[in-house]
Amino acid sequence: TGVVPFVALLLLQRRPVAGRALLVTGSGCPGHGLCRSNVLEQTRRQVAVLNATAQELFSLYVSGAWGWPGVPSESDKLCNPAGIFFPAFRVNRTSERKEVMVAMYKLFAFLNTSLGNITRDQEELNPMAKELLERLHNTTKTTRGLISNLTCLLCKNYNIFQVDVRYGDSSKGKSAFKKKQQGCQVLRKYVQVIGQAARVLLPHLSPS
Amino acid sequence: MFSRWSWVACGFYLVLNICSPDASSGLVQSCGHIIPESPVLALGSNFTALCILNESCLDFGNIYASQIIWKIKNRLVPKEQYREINRTVSSVTFNDTSSLATPLTCNILADGQMEQNIYGITVTVGLAPEKPKNLSCIVHQVSRFTYVMTCTWDPGRHTFLDTQFKLRYSWPEEVFPDCIPKDVNNSCSITDIQFFVNTEIWVEATNALGKAESDRLVVDPIDIVKPLSPQNVSVTSGILPTVLQLTWENWISYAVMTLKFNIRYRIVGDTDWMEVPSEDTASPRTSFSVQGLRPYTKYIFSIRCMKEDGQGYWSDWSEEKIGTTIEDQPSKGPPIWRIIDTSHSPAFWTVHLIWKALKPFEANGVILQYEVTVRDKSSLSCPVKKYNVTSTNHTLQLPEGTYEVTLVARNSVGASPPSVLLIPASNSKAPVKNLRTLPKHDKLWVGWTAPNSYVLKYVIEWCLVSSSSDCIIEWQIAQGDVQGVDLKGIKPFKCYLITVYPLYADGQGSGQSVKAYLKQDRPSKGPTVQTKKVGKAEAVLTWNHLTVEEQNGFIRNYTILYKTIDGNETVVTVDPSKTEYTLSSLTSDTLYTVRMMASTDNGSSTGPDFTFTTQKFGKGEIEAIVVPVCLAFLLIVLLGVLFCFNKRDLIKKHIWPIVPDPSKSNIAQWSPQVPAKHNFNSKDQMYPEGSFTDVSVVEIEADDKKSFSEQDLKPFDLLKKEKSTSEGHSSGIGGSSCMSSPRQSVSDSDEGETTQNTSSTVQYSTVVLNGYRDQTPLQVFSRSESTQPLLDSEERSEDHSGGADSTAQRQQYFRQNGQDETNTDRPCFERTKQITHADEGDLVGFVQLQISGQSSQPLGLGMEKNTQEAALSSVLQTCTEGQTVRPGTVEENPLSVDEMPKSYLPQTVRQGGYMPQ
Repeated sequence: TGVVPFVALLLLQRRPVAGRALLVTGSGCPGHGLCRSNVLEQTRRQVAVLNATAQELFSLYVSGAWGWPGVPSESDKLCNPAGIFFPAFRVNRTSERKEVMVAMYKLFAFLNTSLGNITRDQEELNPMAKELLERLHNTTKTTRGLISNLTCLLCKNYNIFQVDVRYGDSSKGKSAFKKKQQGCQVLRKYVQVIGQAARVLLPHLSPS
Repeated sequence: MFSRWSWVACGFYLVLNICSPDASSGLVQSCGHIIPESPVLALGSNFTALCILNESCLDFGNIYASQIIWKIKNRLVPKEQYREINRTVSSVTFNDTSSLATPLTCNILADGQMEQNIYGITVTVGLAPEKPKNLSCIVHQVSRFTYVMTCTWDPGRHTFLDTQFKLRYSWPEEVFPDCIPKDVNNSCSITDIQFFVNTEIWVEATNALGKAESDRLVVDPIDIVKPLSPQNVSVTSGILPTVLQLTWENWISYAVMTLKFNIRYRIVGDTDWMEVPSEDTASPRTSFSVQGLRPYTKYIFSIRCMKEDGQGYWSDWSEEKIGTTIEDQPSKGPPIWRIIDTSHSPAFWTVHLIWKALKPFEANGVILQYEVTVRDKSSLSCPVKKYNVTSTNHTLQLPEGTYEVTLVARNSVGASPPSVLLIPASNSKAPVKNLRTLPKHDKLWVGWTAPNSYVLKYVIEWCLVSSSSDCIIEWQIAQGDVQGVDLKGIKPFKCYLITVYPLYADGQGSGQSVKAYLKQDRPSKGPTVQTKKVGKAEAVLTWNHLTVEEQNGFIRNYTILYKTIDGNETVVTVDPSKTEYTLSSLTSDTLYTVRMMASTDNGSSTGPDFTFTTQKFGKGEIEAIVVPVCLAFLLIVLLGVLFCFNKRDLIKKHIWPIVPDPSKSNIAQWSPQVPAKHNFNSKDQMYPEGSFTDVSVVEIEADDKKSFSEQDLKPFDLLKKEKSTSEGHSSGIGGSSCMSSPRQSVSDSDEGETTQNTSSTVQYSTVVLNGYRDQTPLQVFSRSESTQPLLDSEERSEDHSGGADSTAQRQQYFRQNGQDETNTDRPCFERTKQITHADEGDLVGFVQLQISGQSSQPLGLGMEKNTQEAALSSVLQTCTEGQTVRPGTVEENPLSVDEMPKSYLPQTVRQGGYMPQ
């Protein structure tokens, strides 16, 4: 049908180098029966949930993954996301809704893969951090649901069946420290971007 | 013959074919098989199976499809369902698979008799799965970040087959792994759920006969969440005594779900919950201040929550938390009442002030003390007396008068409004009217009609009436605008005395009382009845009233039930105030069983049975019989005595006729053998030794004709009637009356007429002169006017024989007229002379007065009759007391009359004398 299953995206994001993949293809909206009017509100709530839990997730990661209580000052350096890839989120409140939706899709597609990698690494490196792992799982699931809803919105409202997505660098094969650092950098950036996204996207995601 | 061997060979081949291992597969080679192999069939459908025989079996054993028989288990399938398709194939058809069972076997009938199994299949009959219905899901929050979605559905009918159910769910672009129920077929739980995504959920049911899917449920799991109840609830008291603040934690992120709440609370000890208005808690929060509470009261709180928009489910109620409001000053004064004891002195009261402790919601804290103020209203000069009391009663000694008592309760915050009680000198005001009670479930309602005057309050006193203890008064106060109260704590089946007093502004009304039961029952026992008095036809029953504890209700009546052993029971209803009742119209001398029943409005109880027997005679009946009889007897006796007394002369004539004294008769003069010197009047002279010759003297008065005939014989008649016969010779005249000799009797006759005739016609006397103890016998004269042989031998022989035993003792009486007066008080036996019949020569002179032809009785009988004779003699002696006793000498004469010298004295009846012969 031209639609790439979401599972494929998960496989793609495991490539060591970020690539580009077809997100939605084909002429029909998948699961049109489920793409209801409440999806917009659901998307807003999902962004709000991610925004509300991002900082706590980051703190848990820093303390759980590094063994530091709270967020030590050293984490600013270690977790500085300057050198990592993170999707650009160059939209504001005045941007078109379609543009916002596409930007959101790119952002959460990247986050979903990155959170998957971080969760995998933490399960390997820090299996006893139950709460962190639980938070990572929940956040990942939320991004999955968010992608599902954005797919519905893009397809239903804008007939967009394909979006170019770039995934982050794979942590596979890297050292544990690097894995932890990369995860911390992603989460640090995630905290910053999700807050921005929530603020910017709020008027666009409100029922019009 | 050949055919038989052929079938044997065939059977052997079959067995061999079945049992021998196959060279290639090592399995048993069959002579045929069934198609289809182990089918699964829909219940109620038709089914056809084919049994195909192997060619090898045909060649060797002459087995053909026509010999095939089909069996279900051990039951033969009717051949109408068979069809021989060709020489090796037989089919069987079932129009309804519900008649099928497993196994279905194909068999052949070898040699017409031997049944050999060819093949068998297992047939499974069942149903295709129904479409699962009523699919519903709920998301349970199991921890702060963990949710489990549980879906349930109706799996439909039983399929009789292994049916698999799968719960499936998907997103628009993603289908998640199926949820396979474990051990059940109607529910499954999913842990990997995601909020804010529309999820499609459905159930698939699959078995060998098909697959069915439920309707698809599209739901955002966030809308079906049952959250965890608020955690860590705490209650804190605030500044105000009517406010408590609740705080808690929500375990669902605000971002995920906003919640609304329900807060419920109740006073400790109460069972009814109160709820904070839902609109006050419809917004997300983690604390709430509950207002309008009672001061110093313990409250229990509990909270629950659900999604703010109302979608989903309410959480369970949180754990209960207790909080207590702070104290406040008492809201009202304690109800106060008094009991006045004037028993010591009417002019000096002992006033027991009693009041009730304030209820917690009135006390608003811990009552530290009560302040009692007493003011004498009749004397303004008297100072107000104040008392601080920690208990709920206070006793005062007050002179008679009017007092105003004020009571205040005080706690740590402040004092209550005062309660005022006026104690008037007398309760002269109007009482309540129409006091009545009515049970209402477990309460007893007391109602009354208010007096015409304005009443401030009413005091209702009540106490449990007991026969063993005093009435302990309980009381309560009702406001003046009510006309009825419910009394609580009233026990069923107990009698209560209720009194209502109206309290006026200027005095108190007299109390009106009524007895009441909350609930009545039948008496616990019946009265014990007993008799107080029992007569011939009536009985007076008595019983005691049942005690109030035994009554269990108002005794409406007593019922007396009494009956005889075999009679019907008679029922009498008696007024309950009675303790005595008289049963009348009873049958005399009859055993009665009586029992008594006491009845209330709710039943009756019967006491023990009591039996009594009525008397045979009524009161005075015996006296009425005995007394008159005695009186009559006495009267008769008295009359008889009087008669005898008045007629003593006449009686004497009849019984003891005057016998002329032979000594005075002329015969003495002409009797040549009688010496003149014989003096009959002087017995002692003649018989100095007390022995004399028996002489019978008969005095006959010529002028009294009857004395010789009728009157003389009457005593004999009487004697005969009295059966005073005895052995020996009859005295006839004197002997019987005086019992001169118990061994002598009157030979009387039962034929009185004959006797009378004889006596009237035969008058004779025999005077026998006999010597006593060899003394010279006296001259004996016998007189008679009869010419017939007087002393016939038969009678004498009888007399002789009858008196044979008594011959040793002979008695003879001798009486003379001249001695009558002097000898009346002598017992006749004093002059009894015994005569011994020594021999015939010792003849005793006798006088035999022949009354009738009957002779004397045998001695034995005569002895028995002596007692009667003695009694009779005493009677006669009594009757004849004072009269002249005329002894008749009766002597048994053992000798024959013929042998005795006889002389007959011609009797001149008219002249009353004897003429010498």
